Amino acid sequence: MKRYILLSTALLAMVFFSCQRLNLEPKGILGEPELFGNEFGVKKYFTALYNYLPIEDFVYYGNNNASAYRPGNYWEAGKNSQGNCSAEFFNTWQGVNNGGFAYWPYDRIRECNLFIQNFPNYKSAFSTTTYNALMGEAYFLRAFFYSGLAKRYGGVPIVKEVQDPLGDKAALAVPRNTEYDTWKFIYTDLKFAMDNMPASSERGRANKYVAAALMSRTMLYAGSIAKYTQYLGFSNEAAVKNGTAGIDPTKANEFFQYSVDAGKFIEAGPYALYTKDYPDKALNFANAFLDVTSTENIFIKDFDQTVPGDTRLRHTYDALMCPQPDMSSFVGAESYPPLDFMELYDMTPYVNPDGTPVRFNNRSDIRAGMEPRMRGTMFMDGDVLRGKTFSIQRGIYKTYTGTAADAQNGSNAAPINSGGNRITGGRGATTTINGVTLVIAGAHGNFEDQGGENNGWGSAFVRKYINPNMAVSDVREYKSGQHWIVFRLGEIYLNTAEALYELGNRAEAFNYIEKLRIRAGSAVARPAIDQTLSNIGSINKANYPYQIEKSLQFIRDEREREMYGENQWWWDIRRWRTADQILNNYRPRLLNCYFVANEGKYIFLDEANRLNRGWTASKSCFYEPIPGGEIGKNGKLLPNNPLY
Amino acid sequence: MKKISFIVLGMVLIGLSSCYKKDNYDAPNAGVHGNVIDSYTGKPLLASQNDWQIRIWERSWTAGTVNNQTIPIKQDGSYNNSKLFAGTYDMLPYGGPFWPIADTTRGVVFTKNGTTNDFTVTPYLQVVDFTTSLVGTNLTMTCRLKAPKRTGLPNLVEIKPYLSLTQFVGESNFINIGEYTNKRIQINKSWLTEVGDIETSNVYTLGPLPVKSGYTYQVRIGANVNDANRKYNYSEIKTVTVP
Repeated sequence: MKRYILLSTALLAMVFFSCQRLNLEPKGILGEPELFGNEFGVKKYFTALYNYLPIEDFVYYGNNNASAYRPGNYWEAGKNSQGNCSAEFFNTWQGVNNGGFAYWPYDRIRECNLFIQNFPNYKSAFSTTTYNALMGEAYFLRAFFYSGLAKRYGGVPIVKEVQDPLGDKAALAVPRNTEYDTWKFIYTDLKFAMDNMPASSERGRANKYVAAALMSRTMLYAGSIAKYTQYLGFSNEAAVKNGTAGIDPTKANEFFQYSVDAGKFIEAGPYALYTKDYPDKALNFANAFLDVTSTENIFIKDFDQTVPGDTRLRHTYDALMCPQPDMSSFVGAESYPPLDFMELYDMTPYVNPDGTPVRFNNRSDIRAGMEPRMRGTMFMDGDVLRGKTFSIQRGIYKTYTGTAADAQNGSNAAPINSGGNRITGGRGATTTINGVTLVIAGAHGNFEDQGGENNGWGSAFVRKYINPNMAVSDVREYKSGQHWIVFRLGEIYLNTAEALYELGNRAEAFNYIEKLRIRAGSAVARPAIDQTLSNIGSINKANYPYQIEKSLQFIRDEREREMYGENQWWWDIRRWRTADQILNNYRPRLLNCYFVANEGKYIFLDEANRLNRGWTASKSCFYEPIPGGEIGKNGKLLPNNPLY
Repeated sequence: MKKISFIVLGMVLIGLSSCYKKDNYDAPNAGVHGNVIDSYTGKPLLASQNDWQIRIWERSWTAGTVNNQTIPIKQDGSYNNSKLFAGTYDMLPYGGPFWPIADTTRGVVFTKNGTTNDFTVTPYLQVVDFTTSLVGTNLTMTCRLKAPKRTGLPNLVEIKPYLSLTQFVGESNFINIGEYTNKRIQINKSWLTEVGDIETSNVYTLGPLPVKSGYTYQVRIGANVNDANRKYNYSEIKTVTVP
């Protein structure tokens, strides 16, 4: 009885009093004087902002996810990476995310504005240099958030003041600014940052050269938008008509010039291309991404094995790029370089002038004559990682007479591939030909009976950013700690070269290309300038809607050669307004190695991927739609972007 | 004892259900349907299932910002939605392979039994003289392009073959393999450069396309221009039975 009364009382107490508020002053929260009044407080305040910067690093989800920059289950970033979404990597997981994921960081921008607005109240607590440096840093951070918005949406509302949430409703609904004004606002913020910040900073924090690097990248983006948006056929779209999407083409050179100026500003700084591991240019290029003291780094984001697990500051890159069990102790590789991207580099021919496949004595002979930078970017058969040697083979031909074209890109219907002449198999499968037992596929792929995971497609694995100095047993989820390079001098050279070329300074542009190609070990360091016009691109022989000079296409290709796998490719094909043509039913081709049994030699064939995976970007990818929830709150954000 | 339990149970029920509200709003039961007519042929525009949509804005809703809803086009050029809220709507066929429509159709009243509303559009291109020929298991298609209105016509992009094993064939449903898509003709030139200052082009030949013995294919050709949406104008559908 007593128990029942007790139980009933408890139940009633819960039901009727569950909404009681505990209206207590919270303790242990730092207020503005504690945060803004001294250098360490400001550092703490900025740390949170740095954490949320739109940096597309190891844990960035390139696909549809509301928190793409700070995802949950972030070990899976290897499957959802931007490279996978944009076909820079062949994989079986992701397609193009045409519509974006509703990025809208006005909460962080408000924090920047709060600092910019109230920090002057604490000016007396700082020396002028420190005060200016911290104020400049806040402008840099704000510009970074706006650049993440502008590259997605074009023109966005420029909010420079701290809005009062209880203020006039009409004043809170800020309309979109034009795309020109938005990029100019980013320019102004970064210019302020460059003028006020010091030349050096602790690792992972900005200084004036970091601000200039962001300037170099964003202004090149804006210049390309201005120049090439006109070819999209968007002129009837409301957002284009009122300037919130797209920029007048006559403004392109203004932005290109800003990019060049920022690049030259950085050249005055203490940076140099990484050459520590010369003369081995392949190893040198690979180590440029692993040496945290690299002279090429302008701004890096540190990852660290010792930090708590949910900080998003540990990643899984090694475990998801290397084959298991030899080099990874997790699920294994998820992404592979397609032949289309391999072809951009110097490579030894694998087809003879008469059309027959070149015979190689060893699979690893494909590496002979390969551009060192390519070897530093990709692992080939015969390369060694963590004590094991890569072994990649697609299958066996009993005999191979005829030309490479006879294989019809690997089609099962081709006569040479039928009747048991071509043999493919699963992991470890063997076949016996004339009394000799042969393993059909390489130890790391490609296995006929498996999908995209842990199954070497083509002839290469990604090497860039892979840390060889890990025990295989440690290569697991959340076990990688190498830093992400946000800006490096190599990119700045490419930005400057492209902007210079767009401005008509062709020879000067190639001075920068030459520096990179010498470091890369390319066969021809400085190709002659070719002003022939063409509208055909390199990847997928894309049919651009405009013509460009062949040397400009060369600079664009150089950018991808240098920055393969650095999460820039998608933004590049977007700003060139060629994404819909490059990814127009784009099916990555794969370079596959076969053993020819009766000759005892190896051949390489250009094949279609057997899963028939294709990528298609539609024109709606060039501007993401303004998030529906934001339009619901603020009708002044309309008209929405083109095609939405 | 039992009494107390019942009383307590009753009070708990009251406590838990006090916030219950009945949704007294009727389910959507009004609708709109009709055809999108090709101004050249006078017949419904040849389309692919859900290739583009008709945008509608509910104007009788004034409590907030109105975002557009969409009604997909069907393969036969018709559209239908019978689950909309009754009210006054603006309508605009948008993003299809036709010259942009200058004016939104305003104030269409959607009623319970469905309002009929037809639109007339002017397509960019017509795919005419469509033929198919089968030699063994290789299919070849030909067509000519026609552009009655050429002033301001965006550049031609491509001519693409579509094959399907179902009745639905077009950009939204086709056999998507390299053997077929690689046979598309990529143009990316203006009509004047590619065809000249005439209304109808020469014959384009697509193929040979390998098909399989014993199957019946539905086939057609699509062609598009580089406007904002780059959707395709289609030929009629032909049935090809491979012996």
